[in-house]
Amino acid sequence: MSPKARIMTVLGSRPFLTLLVVAAVWIVASFATRGFGAFGHLRYLVELAAVIGLVAAGQTFVVIAGGIDLSVAAIVTVAAVGLPLVSSSADPTGLSAILLVLTMTTAIGLVNGLGVAYLRVHPMIMTLAMATFLQGLLIIIAGGSAVSLQNPLVGWLGNARPLGIPAGVVLWIALAAIVLFVMHATPFGARIFAIGANPRAAELSGVPVPATTIAIYGVSGLTAGLAGVLVLGMNGQGYVGIGDPYLLASIAAVVLGGTSILGGLGTYAGTIPGSILLVTITALITVVNASPGWRSILFGSLILGLLLLSGREAARR
Amino acid sequence: MSVVPSNSGQRTGRLYWSVQAGRNVGVRGLFLVVLAFIVAYGFLFPGLFTMAGFAKFTQSWFPLALVAMAQALLMLTGGISLAIGATVSLGAVIAATTMVGPLGVAGGSALVAATGLGIGAITGFIVVKLRLPAIVVTLAGSFIIGGAALLILPRPGGAMPEWLSDLLAGNTPAAFLLLVVVVLLWKLYLATPLGLSLYAAGENPVGAYRSGVPVDAARIAAYALSGLLSTGAGLFVAAQTGSGDPVIGAAFTLNSIAAAVLGGIGFLGGQGTMRGALAGSLLLSLMISVMFFLGFTPVAQYVAQGLIIIGAVALPQFRKVQR
Repeated sequence: MSPKARIMTVLGSRPFLTLLVVAAVWIVASFATRGFGAFGHLRYLVELAAVIGLVAAGQTFVVIAGGIDLSVAAIVTVAAVGLPLVSSSADPTGLSAILLVLTMTTAIGLVNGLGVAYLRVHPMIMTLAMATFLQGLLIIIAGGSAVSLQNPLVGWLGNARPLGIPAGVVLWIALAAIVLFVMHATPFGARIFAIGANPRAAELSGVPVPATTIAIYGVSGLTAGLAGVLVLGMNGQGYVGIGDPYLLASIAAVVLGGTSILGGLGTYAGTIPGSILLVTITALITVVNASPGWRSILFGSLILGLLLLSGREAARR
Repeated sequence: MSVVPSNSGQRTGRLYWSVQAGRNVGVRGLFLVVLAFIVAYGFLFPGLFTMAGFAKFTQSWFPLALVAMAQALLMLTGGISLAIGATVSLGAVIAATTMVGPLGVAGGSALVAATGLGIGAITGFIVVKLRLPAIVVTLAGSFIIGGAALLILPRPGGAMPEWLSDLLAGNTPAAFLLLVVVVLLWKLYLATPLGLSLYAAGENPVGAYRSGVPVDAARIAAYALSGLLSTGAGLFVAAQTGSGDPVIGAAFTLNSIAAAVLGGIGFLGGQGTMRGALAGSLLLSLMISVMFFLGFTPVAQYVAQGLIIIGAVALPQFRKVQR
């Protein structure tokens, strides 16, 4: 491909278009509402988007592989509620608790993967049942009350701003780099696209489908756990239901970023502006100062409208 | 699996019933499990076999049966809806705000039905004609529909005519009779051209289209009927509770999918039968009641429900692999 053609491909790609939409919305909103375009406000939006971006990282993997993970909200909550409970005073940095929680959420994801790969339960059912299961578990461990945070590292992650950039955003950038590398430059990434496009063909071509599937759901559990840790740091306390908004947000971010919900097609590079777009929409709706009903209607309509612009499937005949 | 009874005049009764029996093969195991649960339930709660007990049980099952049918209808055409819960809520608040007003029960019911049909038809149009993925459209739709429910009734309230609540949720098996009527109507619908196209549109849309089946119309009609069933369930829930609640339907989205899948409906379209979906919803409903009578804590109920659903879905797959 000539350099010019390559540039044209990038300019015409879905991730770039989503980025353009975000830029357009930001510019228009900055002129329309006072304070929207302030650096502090935009930085705050990106900080909020980081949580969605983390959850959506795993979701992007799962969706590209032709599945869907409906347990991410429950996993975020498990991480946010579980972390204060496993934090011990013996470890002054709080790192051990974070690692323990991330191991736990990864294990939850791996169980999802086992169910999908070996029990051949449809991903939607497997992860929904897992979410139901975790909901019960959460009531046991948290008893319905909020738990406050006493973990220095998590607090730093949620509040610190090295060089003016929120630590959560730094974490997001680092994770995004890893995810993009794994997705587009490793055999593992290639296998995910192969499974999503045609699992049978992938299997016959020698792709270890069950192992890859299990790994994908494990990744989703890991990134959802990371998001839970971050949201706990930003919030200061964890409670049952803290992760609920992130299920729909993660799926919407993935789809708005141009990843096909049918699998086999997409990139995390689109999910990143997708997450920011989603947070921007929510912020704008809050600015409008409407009743909860109208806010919900506006949110749904805007997502539907954006989908009409970009998310259409090819004609099947 | 997708043998649809022909509506040609010279069909013999014997052929019809043998075809129907053939369609039971996949769900026979499920029927046995349901039967076992009914026996267990009757053992724990002998009142089930009195008129009042039967009425109460069928009333707790009825809304779940309706939403399971609504979801199964879509899944048979290869679609899915994540907006069922919100649609149930909308049906409930419309019923609770109109039926005691000037519109009366007839006007209120008509409005509930028209809303369901309209919402479903619009959703179907967006999914089918604008070619957007059903999961995402209905996800966004659940916000719009849920928002509309919040606009009509920002907090639980409204009222239902007392005689209607007594009729539907009193000590008469009216809910069961209604369900029988709904099932008969479903059978009738399957005999219409649109109903006949339903399975074909789900199993092989391209092939069906090339054979002249009205695939798009069948799919849009399925969404419209699904909306109607969902708001109908909402009306019933409002009658049961005597008032409207803008978020009362939330749990139905998940449960409708679980019931349909338990009943052997496939995600890819064209696989499964409505009687399977009904049995699935009955199993789910029985499961919840039996766990309640056994004194399970809500926590244990969640855990057990998750395990049972996975087990019930995974077991038939194991048998398939062994074959």
